[in-house]
Amino acid sequence: MTKQYNGRDAVSVRDLTFSYDGQRDVLKGISFDIPKGSYTAVIGHNGSGKSTLAKLLIGLLPAASGSISILGTELTEDSVYDIRTSTGIVFQNPDNQFIGSTVADDIAFGLENRCIPQEQMQELIETAARQVGMTRFLDSEPTKLSGGQKQRVAIAGILAVAPDIIIFDESTSMLDPKGKKAINEEIRRLHEEKDITILSITHDMEEVAQSDYVLALKDGSIAMTGTPREIFSRQQELRQMELDVPFAWKITDELCKLGLTEHQALDLEEAAEEICR
Amino acid sequence: MNNIALGRYLPLNSVVDKMDPRAKILIMLLLMIAIFVPAGFWGYVLIFAFIWIALKLSKLTIGFALRSMKPMMFMMVFLLVINIFAIRTGVPLVQWGWFSIYSDAISQTLYIIVRLMLMVIITTILTATTKPLDLTLGIEKLLKPFEAVGLPAHIIAMMISIALRFIPTLIEETQRIMNAQASRGVDLENGSLKEKIMAVLALIVPLFVSAFDRADQLANAMEARGYDPQRPRTRYKVLKMTAPDIWGLVAAAGVLTGCILLAVF
Repeated sequence: MTKQYNGRDAVSVRDLTFSYDGQRDVLKGISFDIPKGSYTAVIGHNGSGKSTLAKLLIGLLPAASGSISILGTELTEDSVYDIRTSTGIVFQNPDNQFIGSTVADDIAFGLENRCIPQEQMQELIETAARQVGMTRFLDSEPTKLSGGQKQRVAIAGILAVAPDIIIFDESTSMLDPKGKKAINEEIRRLHEEKDITILSITHDMEEVAQSDYVLALKDGSIAMTGTPREIFSRQQELRQMELDVPFAWKITDELCKLGLTEHQALDLEEAAEEICR
Repeated sequence: MNNIALGRYLPLNSVVDKMDPRAKILIMLLLMIAIFVPAGFWGYVLIFAFIWIALKLSKLTIGFALRSMKPMMFMMVFLLVINIFAIRTGVPLVQWGWFSIYSDAISQTLYIIVRLMLMVIITTILTATTKPLDLTLGIEKLLKPFEAVGLPAHIIAMMISIALRFIPTLIEETQRIMNAQASRGVDLENGSLKEKIMAVLALIVPLFVSAFDRADQLANAMEARGYDPQRPRTRYKVLKMTAPDIWGLVAAAGVLTGCILLAVF
């Protein structure tokens, strides 16, 4: 029996279990809901099951047991193709997800798969490229682009098919600090301006700080959930998971202990404000 | 690895560049057939005239065309040597004790070499004036009629275009692995044959591992973006035949007919 869709959750996961070898469970029956239009960060140490979760959500791996619903539609073999229209994913390696031989061709790939008529493509491609600031590079080959630019093209390829949810699977981990910052800003802008539900799997604590909710995985189970503030205040537990808190939080936390500031800050701007007060 | 003339696209923005890849592939096929029609000397003059005009129109130099022949020099010499020993008909030209060179050996080798040269020049013109992706699209469209008998034209085209897309990436990767192995003391240039083979292994194995890894990730990315080889797809690039394409085809057909007529009469 399928549950009634409450119209509120973009992603709804129940008792999800997965194992690669049939013996050791990578995900041990996890359940969570992600509200529509929210920005959720998934954190956890290496091998905690983060990336496996992303592949399950987009139907690249079959769940051993449990269910996944995307916008009220249960993920099955029959619905997976439709679900991929509403859900996009940006992977870690910028090179290995660039399919076309130019930027325009790559953005077109998703449109071609969805049988969008040829006459409409040019406009959709240009709109998508404009949104990520890659209009000047439409005819460029991937070898002429930086890692950050390639990731922006990957985002444009997904935006072209107008998704409701975008999953970022450590999309910034292979980029230099500049590229990382640009992509993080891009993600935040998508979330704020386009009302797209964001699910970001990340190691980058500065990025976690800009999310609405945090889901911390540990050995295939959910260890913590909450707002970034709630998660960062449990520094001891984070450290056990081989995770750290953002630099700004660390400083203001120390200052709090000395009684010099009242609150911890999520980013450097906030920290500066807090200190100047 | 950057000075190979054979198979490289040169963005010269000529008339031939803008031609429909389908027309160019068909012209190439017509000329290939013409080359194998035994039309004698005047047949080759006809074909060469066509190629000369094609070279001029595509803004390529004869030097570029000749450079594309470099990798074949060894093969040509090899052919000559084999033919000198194998063909013992015609008039003996040189007599040297028991060993003699016959006229047929020379003329047959010349024929083969001329044919090979013409074919290589034609293919070089095609690849130098056509973007790899357009070439793939042209092949796909030309193979389309064979889909009725179960030939997966669009899948073949997708495989070719992905292979082409990853050539620069894999060259870059090879360079990186070579540097990484060199810094660990692997010497690719000196040493005995056995040592060289071991050194190449140290290059090939990591290259294969990473290529398979890439293939896996690429397959995931393609699937996640809704690619399904069994489903219909629309295409972003469209091909249009224009006046130069028709003229080129007519001219190539003319050359072929000319060669056939020369062979018959």
